[in-house]
Amino acid sequence: MVSTAPTRERADVLIVGGGAAALLMAAKLGAAGKRVVVLEQGPDFTLNDLISSQIWARRLKWGGTPMLLEGRHPVGFAYNAGWGVGGAALHQFGNWPRLHPEDFRMKSLHGRGADWPIDYAELRPYYDRIQEEVGLAGDALAETWRPEGAPYPMPPTRIFKHAELMAEGFHKIGIRTAPMPVAINTVERDGRAACIYDGWCEAGCPIGALANPQVTYLPVAIKAGVEIRSGCYVTRVLLDPRQQRAVGVEYYDSEGTRHEQPAKLVVLAAFVVENPRILFNSATEKHPAGLGNPNGLLGRAIMTHAGANVWAMFDEDVENHLGLSAALLMSQDGYGKESRSGAFGSYTWTIGIAQKPNDVLGFANARGALFGAALHEFMRKAARGVGKVQAVCEEIPTPENRVLLSDQKDRFGLPRARVIHNFEENAVKLFEFARDEGIRALRQTRAVDVWAGPTPNISHVAGGTPMGRDAASSITDSYGRMHTFPNLFVAGAGLFTTEGAVHPTFTVHALALRSVEHIIDRWGGLVE
Amino acid sequence: MMVDRRVVLQGGALGLAFVVGGREMVLSPRKARAQDIPLSTLTPAERETLESFGDVLLPGAREAGIAHFVDHQLGVSPGEALLLARLVNVAPPFVNFYRAGLKALDEAATKSHGAPFARLSEDTKIAFVDQIRQRPPDGWVGPPSPFFYYVVRNDAVDVVYGTVEGFEKLGIPYMPHIPPSAKW
Repeated sequence: MVSTAPTRERADVLIVGGGAAALLMAAKLGAAGKRVVVLEQGPDFTLNDLISSQIWARRLKWGGTPMLLEGRHPVGFAYNAGWGVGGAALHQFGNWPRLHPEDFRMKSLHGRGADWPIDYAELRPYYDRIQEEVGLAGDALAETWRPEGAPYPMPPTRIFKHAELMAEGFHKIGIRTAPMPVAINTVERDGRAACIYDGWCEAGCPIGALANPQVTYLPVAIKAGVEIRSGCYVTRVLLDPRQQRAVGVEYYDSEGTRHEQPAKLVVLAAFVVENPRILFNSATEKHPAGLGNPNGLLGRAIMTHAGANVWAMFDEDVENHLGLSAALLMSQDGYGKESRSGAFGSYTWTIGIAQKPNDVLGFANARGALFGAALHEFMRKAARGVGKVQAVCEEIPTPENRVLLSDQKDRFGLPRARVIHNFEENAVKLFEFARDEGIRALRQTRAVDVWAGPTPNISHVAGGTPMGRDAASSITDSYGRMHTFPNLFVAGAGLFTTEGAVHPTFTVHALALRSVEHIIDRWGGLVE
Repeated sequence: MMVDRRVVLQGGALGLAFVVGGREMVLSPRKARAQDIPLSTLTPAERETLESFGDVLLPGAREAGIAHFVDHQLGVSPGEALLLARLVNVAPPFVNFYRAGLKALDEAATKSHGAPFARLSEDTKIAFVDQIRQRPPDGWVGPPSPFFYYVVRNDAVDVVYGTVEGFEKLGIPYMPHIPPSAKW
């Protein structure tokens, strides 16, 4: 039998989720004097939990109610999502390129997908401020494709032999490269250490060189008095009697006790799948299709990136254990949306990724068909000789790719989330184009073997609660405020209208900063 | 012998904790196997099949403790589990996945070759694994065999090469920020 705890004191702002967007907003709101409560479903991780091991790092990834993942190309949700305070940003790699201006105007420029309600010029100052607050390293001049923006506050990363060798191959087929912009300290900065290039980024960075929330906005939030409760599974947004405003949320703690947490303003920052799940499960008589869903678009137009992995085996020590989980180099020569026939969209090359033997992206899986003695032989060669590049390929949003509720229930009797995802033919063609280009490039090196993964690596989930200019075609306005509820916001990658061909975390931060400053500036009008 | 198990944090280092006869021991899977710590979830027959399958996928996985690793992780909460299965959306409880996969493996081996997997000749095991990694054989009832192959192959790689000891074998500097305990 479920017990119910007494209703708690009303918060000014209640944030669901404890990831990058949530903690940034909590820090700013707390500093602005708001009483903020954060409800995180997973555990309360600290830097001491970030054990250098690909095996132990799995604790940082989704450990909650499993999603029902369907379609020809199921979303790699558990691998991409976070679990615990810090969220997915706790195991992020730190690749932080910006979206390009054309990514914001896909419908008007290309007749595909949808336009964002803001353009690049609107978001640019927030990118610039975030890169200064968080600390980015890169070479803005070398990135000839880079949209306008302030120079990076730190010099680019060191480059190791594996990246150099593979970059030469790209150069030989006419593709330019530049240092990857990363949210990783290349020098000591703001009391945080400089990177030592041991490649353990995915396991979390306990020295604080990589900008995970534990060293960026979490300490600020705690200092500002933000209350962070872990182990809290949010089931519904609660509405006022007229069903026009959010008044808090219902959640269950780790003991299974039911709680209601009232708040003046609610932010859903629980990632791409959980936000729609909560909104669907909050359906009422007046909102039978879920909150904010009169247009039937809730949960629709989720996107991923199709990753084209290409490996090269060198018959020498290429220092592949040194570097980052992020790439050392990148190229956006392939960013032009219509620069090739039959494969619309952008792609970004990430070149030179530090290698570990095991886990999903470990080099053991570079040759998935090998087993037995042949696998041992491959592992011995790859340990010092394998290099990897990956093209991050854009997926154009389509409403058929969506989050919805299943008929299977969670432990509290509420429907679980179901996620349907298929790459359209164009996305597959773009993946194949990039893959073949990568093979051509690496064959120009002195590698003794070059091969590619047979299917796209699916990463970077976004969309499902997209922002837009009007209530007919989107779920929220440009600040993440739901069109139908004045004090209910969404934050995170779910707001993306398109995803371009860049890693999402920088844009998540920039959008969250813009949203939270709007909330603070318009506080009276939002909560009255 | 009473055995309790959990994941522990000891002075910043993690280990697999077995409580045997009231005494807590933090052991690597290899040491747990060497000390013959009894399994708590998998049956002796399931252990035999898993060790045999793992050892074909990556020779040495048996001695590296693949069965002890998997069994230990089946005994902790899904949110704490360290199995790769967690990352590829296997629905908890994970024991259902392993139990169904191991049963399917033995039944398919019996149907094709007249004996459970562990009792096949080494050459037959290799040929059979090469078959199931590509497509499920007729009558396979369980998780798709290529997916089961993928997950258990990764378990084998974890215990053989995903540890401090495994890195040493490959000649890769481990360079930890926070090292796992017991070379694990």
